[in-house]
Amino acid sequence: MDVTLLKVTALLYLLASASFVVYIFLARDLISRLSPIIFLTGFVVHTAALGVHFMQAGYPGIAQFREALSFYAWLLVAGYLLIQLKYRLAILGAIIAPLAFLMTLAAFAFGTGGGELPPALKTYWLPVHVTLAFLGNAVFALAFGVSLIYLLQENYLKRKKVTSVIKRFPSLEALDKLNYLLLVWGFPLMTLGILTGSMWAGIHWGNYWSWEPREISSGIVWLLYAALLHGRITAGLRGKKAALLTMVGFAVVLGYFLWGDSLFPSRHGGRFE
Amino acid sequence: MNHRSAPIEVRESVAFESSYIRQALIQLRSHATIHESVILSTCNRVEIVAAVSNGASASAQLKAFLAEHQARKSFDGLDNHVYTYHGSDAVRHLFRVAASLDSMVIGEPQILGQLKQYYTAAQEAGTVGTILHRLFHRSFSVAKRVRNETAIASRAVSVSSVAVELAKRIFDRLDDKTVMLIGAGKMGDLMARHLQRGGVQSLMVTNRTFDRAVELAGRIHGSPILFEDFPRYLTLADLVIGCTGSPEILIGAATVDRVLRERKQKAMFFIDIGDRRNFDPAINEIDNVYLYNIDDLKDVAEENLLERSSEAEKAEGIVQQEVEHFTGWIQSLDQVPTITALRQRLEEIRQKELERSLGGALRNLSEEQREALEDMTTAMMNKILHAPLTHIKRNSGDEDDERTLYIAALKKLFDLER
Repeated sequence: MDVTLLKVTALLYLLASASFVVYIFLARDLISRLSPIIFLTGFVVHTAALGVHFMQAGYPGIAQFREALSFYAWLLVAGYLLIQLKYRLAILGAIIAPLAFLMTLAAFAFGTGGGELPPALKTYWLPVHVTLAFLGNAVFALAFGVSLIYLLQENYLKRKKVTSVIKRFPSLEALDKLNYLLLVWGFPLMTLGILTGSMWAGIHWGNYWSWEPREISSGIVWLLYAALLHGRITAGLRGKKAALLTMVGFAVVLGYFLWGDSLFPSRHGGRFE
Repeated sequence: MNHRSAPIEVRESVAFESSYIRQALIQLRSHATIHESVILSTCNRVEIVAAVSNGASASAQLKAFLAEHQARKSFDGLDNHVYTYHGSDAVRHLFRVAASLDSMVIGEPQILGQLKQYYTAAQEAGTVGTILHRLFHRSFSVAKRVRNETAIASRAVSVSSVAVELAKRIFDRLDDKTVMLIGAGKMGDLMARHLQRGGVQSLMVTNRTFDRAVELAGRIHGSPILFEDFPRYLTLADLVIGCTGSPEILIGAATVDRVLRERKQKAMFFIDIGDRRNFDPAINEIDNVYLYNIDDLKDVAEENLLERSSEAEKAEGIVQQEVEHFTGWIQSLDQVPTITALRQRLEEIRQKELERSLGGALRNLSEEQREALEDMTTAMMNKILHAPLTHIKRNSGDEDDERTLYIAALKKLFDLER
């Protein structure tokens, strides 16, 4: 049941991606109104898929990597839709929708069916820690997209190429402000994600910090974002440099999310002994 | 004729002075075949739009009128420069003119206003009837549709409007931004006004001669500052316009670096429209700073213009739709009177012949027989008319031309235009 729903979700996300991309090049009003609606419909079906999974399995679908992907995509889309309420950012949709599509596709393409949850994970810490960490992460993914759009436009303006595609971007100032807003939201969420993880580890395994690769990489990214936030507030670190740093931070997170666990087996990679 | 068909000297030679338009229109009406007319005479085009009853002879008359109305030249020299459109082509042409598709700068908005103005003049002269009334009002709404449904007029094509467009790419809003205008040249004045229309409220003006700064500031509601002081005020400026004839560079990269630090890296937009470079080109290399000089702005304007032409294709589609619509209306206008006239004509013949027969050889018929004869002739007439009338009334777009042809043929064959 939840797999069927997930397939429908992926299809809708694919449709939304196409519609966002078409909008960027053709700028039809109808399409600009339609794309977020398709995307929202996909999100509703996705929510249903996650709900059904929870009812059937009795735990949120985040224990396995492919399940986590789907959950992460769901958070990402939720974040985008929230931004879309205030900013008309079809261009960001054109980045987020394909990402969401690929992640939901991956969530059922590499086998389905849930394994039995290891005993160490049968705890309320799991959903709390994973949700917070993913939430922070999803916000940074959105910031990554916003930064990318900023840099694209900045590059066009510096080179004095003003094409019609650019005209449908928000202004640089608006993008920079949004980037800042996302940082302000994402940073505390990430901090909480790390703290809950540490407390969980402390309670279950007796040590709060075990220098796991995942912990180290999170620590590095946390420091990076802390520096960025500090720079923004005190030294006027904004615009191009801020956008670049945002992208670097997220690239580290993403890289680890995709490959880190298989390179460095650890608790996060599924070894709980 | 327009800017493509005729050089300026020729256009000038036939142009109508505005005081003379009324007289010219009234003169046109004295021609038997010209029923309605509007004269359009701008610096890029001289056109006469007329509703006429005989296309060929009327257009000859119009051409002659164009050549002679100012008693300047004979028509020989003009023939190469004048274009004539009939029927739906004429409708299309007027719609294209109104939508600014026929303009020198495609998408420029002035032509519509001019069209309205000349239409009103013709209305006042009493030379506008049902057809031109409908035609012109239709052309105004075509122009509106094109404006709303295509991006033909949305891209800036003047240097000043490009600057505003760019400012809006960099800044989220302009009403909380401050502009510094250096130099009191005409170009800078114009640009400052454009920016104000774009929302800018706070404006500083400086000039080597302080009096001129004060004078300009007064005109555009800015605050004048001393030329020696302007570097100190740079920190406050989000947009800086350089418009002086100064031979040396006024603002260098080092200055901007310092100013930016004071501003906590808040973005700055420098616009250099001076006779010589007012700002160091290296400024553009600094993060969060954008420098556009007059050539850059012109390049953007030109590219926007190219883009307008691609939007023009969409607009042509709209025009085509509307032309079909209008031609349909014209034909229905022609169709009803033709049908009535045809019926009348046959009815007349029937009555006349009936009278003659009943008064002559068929004198002795009974009342019943007379009625039967009456019914028979009426039925005969209706049967004969049935097929041709169905053809004329059929409402399919493809056969528009065919239908026009039939109507014309009927008129001629049955002598309906007596």
